[in-house]
Amino acid sequence: MTRIRDLSTFNAVRSAGLAKLQPARPRIAVGMGTCGTGNGSEGVYAALADAIAQRGLDVHLVRTGCFGFCAEEPLVNVWIPGQPLVILHRVQTDHVNQILDALATKTVPERLALCKIEEWDHITAQLHYGSGFPNIPTWNEVPFFRGQKKIVLRNCGLINPDDIEEYIAIGGYQSLYKVLIDKTPELVNEQIKISRLRGRGGAGFLTGLKWEFLRKATADHKYVICNADEGDPGAYMNRNEIEGDPHSLIEGMAIGGYITGADQGIIYVRAEYPLAVHRLRVALGQARESGVLGEDILGRGFKFDIDLVEGAGAFVCGEETALISSLEGRSGRPRPRPPFPAQKGLWGYPTNINNVETWFNIAPIVAKGPSWFSETGSVASAGTKVFSLVGKVKNTGLVEMPFGTPLSSFVYDAGSGSMRGHPVKAVQTGGPSGGCIPHELFDTPVDYESLGKLGSIMGSGGMVVMDDDNCMVDVARYFVEFTRSESCGKCTPCRVGLDKALRTLTRITKGEGREEDLAELNELGRMIRDTALCGLGQTAPNSILTTLRHFNDEFEDHIKAKRCRAGVCQDLALSPCENSCPLHMNIPRFLQLYKEGRLADAFESVIMDNPLPASTGRVCQHPCDDRCRRQTVDEAVNMREVHRVIADAILLSDRFDEMVDRILAKRRPPTGKTIAVAGAGPTGLTAGFYLALLGHDVTIFDSHAEAGGMLRFALPEYRLPKAVLDREIEIIRRLGVKFVFNTRIGADVALNDLDAKYDAVFLSIGTWKEGWVYLSGTELTGVTPALPFLEAEAEAKPVKLGDRVVIIGGGNAAIDSARTVIRRGAAATVIYRRERKDMPAIQEEVDAAEQEGVRFRFLAAPHRIVGEQGDVKAIEVVKTRLGEFDSSGRRRPIETDEVHIIPCTSVILAVGESVDTDFSRASGLRIKESAMLEVDRYTLATSRDKFFAGGDLISGASNLSNAMGFGKKAARNIDQFLTRESRFDDVMPSFVYDQTAPAETSPCRRHHAHELPAAIRAKTFQEAAAALLPEEAYEESCRCLRCDIRETAGAGAHR
Amino acid sequence: MSQQVSVRIDGELCTAAEGQTIYEVAQANGRSIPALCHMEGLSSAGACRLCLVEVAGIGRLLPACTTPVNTGMSVTTESENLAHHRVMALELLFVERNHICSVCVSNGHCELQALAQKLGVTHVRYPYNYPRLSVDTSHPRFVLDHNRCILCSRCVRVCDEIEGAHVWDIAARGINSMLVSDLDRPWGESENCTSCGKCVQACPTGALVEKGRAVEEMTKRNVVVTTLAAKRDAHP
Repeated sequence: MTRIRDLSTFNAVRSAGLAKLQPARPRIAVGMGTCGTGNGSEGVYAALADAIAQRGLDVHLVRTGCFGFCAEEPLVNVWIPGQPLVILHRVQTDHVNQILDALATKTVPERLALCKIEEWDHITAQLHYGSGFPNIPTWNEVPFFRGQKKIVLRNCGLINPDDIEEYIAIGGYQSLYKVLIDKTPELVNEQIKISRLRGRGGAGFLTGLKWEFLRKATADHKYVICNADEGDPGAYMNRNEIEGDPHSLIEGMAIGGYITGADQGIIYVRAEYPLAVHRLRVALGQARESGVLGEDILGRGFKFDIDLVEGAGAFVCGEETALISSLEGRSGRPRPRPPFPAQKGLWGYPTNINNVETWFNIAPIVAKGPSWFSETGSVASAGTKVFSLVGKVKNTGLVEMPFGTPLSSFVYDAGSGSMRGHPVKAVQTGGPSGGCIPHELFDTPVDYESLGKLGSIMGSGGMVVMDDDNCMVDVARYFVEFTRSESCGKCTPCRVGLDKALRTLTRITKGEGREEDLAELNELGRMIRDTALCGLGQTAPNSILTTLRHFNDEFEDHIKAKRCRAGVCQDLALSPCENSCPLHMNIPRFLQLYKEGRLADAFESVIMDNPLPASTGRVCQHPCDDRCRRQTVDEAVNMREVHRVIADAILLSDRFDEMVDRILAKRRPPTGKTIAVAGAGPTGLTAGFYLALLGHDVTIFDSHAEAGGMLRFALPEYRLPKAVLDREIEIIRRLGVKFVFNTRIGADVALNDLDAKYDAVFLSIGTWKEGWVYLSGTELTGVTPALPFLEAEAEAKPVKLGDRVVIIGGGNAAIDSARTVIRRGAAATVIYRRERKDMPAIQEEVDAAEQEGVRFRFLAAPHRIVGEQGDVKAIEVVKTRLGEFDSSGRRRPIETDEVHIIPCTSVILAVGESVDTDFSRASGLRIKESAMLEVDRYTLATSRDKFFAGGDLISGASNLSNAMGFGKKAARNIDQFLTRESRFDDVMPSFVYDQTAPAETSPCRRHHAHELPAAIRAKTFQEAAAALLPEEAYEESCRCLRCDIRETAGAGAHR
Repeated sequence: MSQQVSVRIDGELCTAAEGQTIYEVAQANGRSIPALCHMEGLSSAGACRLCLVEVAGIGRLLPACTTPVNTGMSVTTESENLAHHRVMALELLFVERNHICSVCVSNGHCELQALAQKLGVTHVRYPYNYPRLSVDTSHPRFVLDHNRCILCSRCVRVCDEIEGAHVWDIAARGINSMLVSDLDRPWGESENCTSCGKCVQACPTGALVEKGRAVEEMTKRNVVVTTLAAKRDAHP
């Protein structure tokens, strides 16, 4: 290796390097960071080497680091002289021949191509690769890289980290050379200060200022240290930086050493990073040989060397005083500052410690000047920061963004939104000592100050994205568990306080929380934050304090309702399906009972959990499917359909009376209490069922002439045959529930009268007030809101439609309307302002509608309804495009200028039905700003004594199972209110059934309900999907993995 | 002669020598700041966090035992906030291990107990950990009772800095931290221990005590340590 002594030797090395980077023959570089090798790049490299040798090709094959898009590894760069550098992704060994075949014709396999690079700005030099490959996007057109600016990662994934000549080829060590020639350390120090470079380890202290302290300190020995003790779970920026470009670190430290007068550098790197350690060793060796380290550096008389020390992996050793202590061979415990390391550091000598990434920024600042650097980023924080973006986003990897980039850009642009389409709930920044930032605050610019204001920190740059599958209480518990075990134990608040906090959090996740725990945690968290000795302790409570601040309701759920919405806290759920069911049905139990051939027991299990089992068996939104762990094997168990089979087998058979008697036998003796229920929809019927079982005298009022609410009047016959519903209502009637029809609450019977006559009142009025859109032309004949339309259909009083109908909306009402229209022989077009996947309607229903001939126009919003002599003639729709993500995790539609006209004879508005709350005026019932009734989330009690409310009235238009869930919850709380006892669980049945998990996973695939052929069902109101056959239902029940059975006996709540 | 600086402590103007800590200046001016890990004559650890004070213009609390005074500094040693934090820190110490005063040889002579009484700790809001901890009676003259240890590390420092034997150190980390002699051998088997007893005299609680003492009988004479340290400073 040539030793650089002067400019000519320097230039010679540079040319040698360039000849390797851009040789006269093709160059293939395999990404071999830890992320690459973890994805099999070692094998790819070996296969390439073998094949190249075998074919006798003249190809320059090298290793490189990671280009940042870790999820797409192994990445392989292919460069053919004169053409752009092409980055291939997810390359496996069997792609090798494809790549080499293409190479023979001077092309690349475009199917494997991720992006191309025509020119690259290494900051210290520019490389021109060539142009071509028009079909391959340029690197910064790939969503993951959009908005990124690579200063720190300028060389990663492009050069060979094991070859100093390639680093020198792209301007490496020139900054050092410049500094050594200029001999003006004060000036360079001043430039670093002016650049406003701040420490990237987390605290964000001005690097230039820190250097100045060291430069001004007088001692015969000074140290500069690189902190590469990266210990945050989910963060690996420093690892990849070192693995991809170790010389940037060495050059930065050498410059720092010269400026501050230090003669020795130390890199403190985690022993858990073997590849980074290896690359550093190679790089340090080459640096010494080349004369950029050691005696007489670059022939300029400067002496400086760097030692490599492997840390034993204590998180606290990232704290500078603890790191020094560890370097001195003592246990890694911090000590109070002052004295600061710049006064008294390693072995008592003045010392400066900077993070890997801080050092990486030095050479570019020296090369390009401070004003170039401060152009990027925000006012207070200049430059860029590398973040490791992980968690529930589609794209994971290292993202280098300018400071001040809003959090939403990370999640939605680089990350491309949530991984499974679930709404993103929060981002945890700064590793275990950081805080969680909720979705509402995603427009926060990412810089030190803004994150600090939200109670989080920049930290070293971890960014963990969480969706609604993450329980925030568990998140807080997890991070406190980490910091507690990493606490050094020196100071009281961190040592004992974190232990206490963990015990309390663990208790809450086990459902043993108390209401006073929250205030206590808050107080304890603040105390630890304000009094702990070092950064670890001071920031450790951030996860508690931010989750308490932003996700207080989740803590309350765990404590008051003993529920974990995300289904993470296992002690609070029987199984994932049970947890997701608004009725909290014991799904594994009925599946097992059915599997055991105990139909009557299975039916009892089902109906006692869910009083309308056949209706829900047909039209439930089945949130259980989404949580079913069987999805990890193949598809979710079709729980809804089994439950339908069980319900139908009894309800529609001659065993009906026998089973009704079995239920009636469970009825408690009369309590003498009277309850009025307003609304005979699913919520009211459910409440009535349970309240009657509990021995109360229940009267249900409804404005319609029959019971069933939306089930009867909004759901078309083809989805729910009314004969089925009638049987279910018959059971409720036989339980003794009385019905008063054609009576409107507030109009026909006053709330005060109910108050006077009944011991408790439950309000469960549905969303019968039609949605209104501010659209010109809605006054025309032929414009109908969806509910009156469906209601008229249900009552066999059809509305005049004409032959072409446009339906506006994307919910179930829109789809039901469209399918009804088709059955009436007219053409139906649904227009929806978002994309298909954003529709709130049940997916199967949308598919079925499409098969039946319903046409869909997505990304279209109604603009104006055009009339002719008072009749609808056409509708003008404006095309929308998708903008920012909103709180539902969907992109907000934005109207464009493009207008289309759709001729039609009538328009059905299926948008935003609401509850008519006029009845509650001046009644003492408080209405929230959202026009919904205010209730206690846990008891459903309203602001007026004796009055409870549930269903659409408090949640807005929802779905069947949610509505019934409210009814069930109301019954429990009304009973408790009336009897001052907790009796609800006493009426629930219990069964003895097999409690062993299946030894083998059933090989059967999911069975689906049998849909009639689309052409046939589009012509009839006959039920569109027939139930599973008994043997299919049996196979389906065998597919259950029995998540309700836990390893440890007795664990898990039994409901 | 070091330079003189003027500082305000709880509003009172005090003169101090440059390099003195807030704790020392407050002490010299008749104000006692609560502390458990600090001991005159030993280096400061800043570990117990009881001596935290408020300094005007600085957003966070500073440990009085390690923070040097500056000219113009205005220090508040007592406030509602500080009292709150101090009480909590004491409570945390009480729940961490088994501090059962009524059967403790140091009852009535314990710095932890005295401080709790002074700061009005009447109850503890957290559940006790009740760890099962051992008592090391292997030393012929002394006893180490982990149940009473608050990990203040005074013994570690006195043995290292005054006696020069460095018998004691703290092993493990976090809530599992434990005082060990030599490399975690029974105290009686320690090869470095000179049996000087300075650690016993320096210990603020009943964790390091002399054998043969019954309940309430163990009084500590830490003046022995401070006198030695002062004499050593006078004849370096």
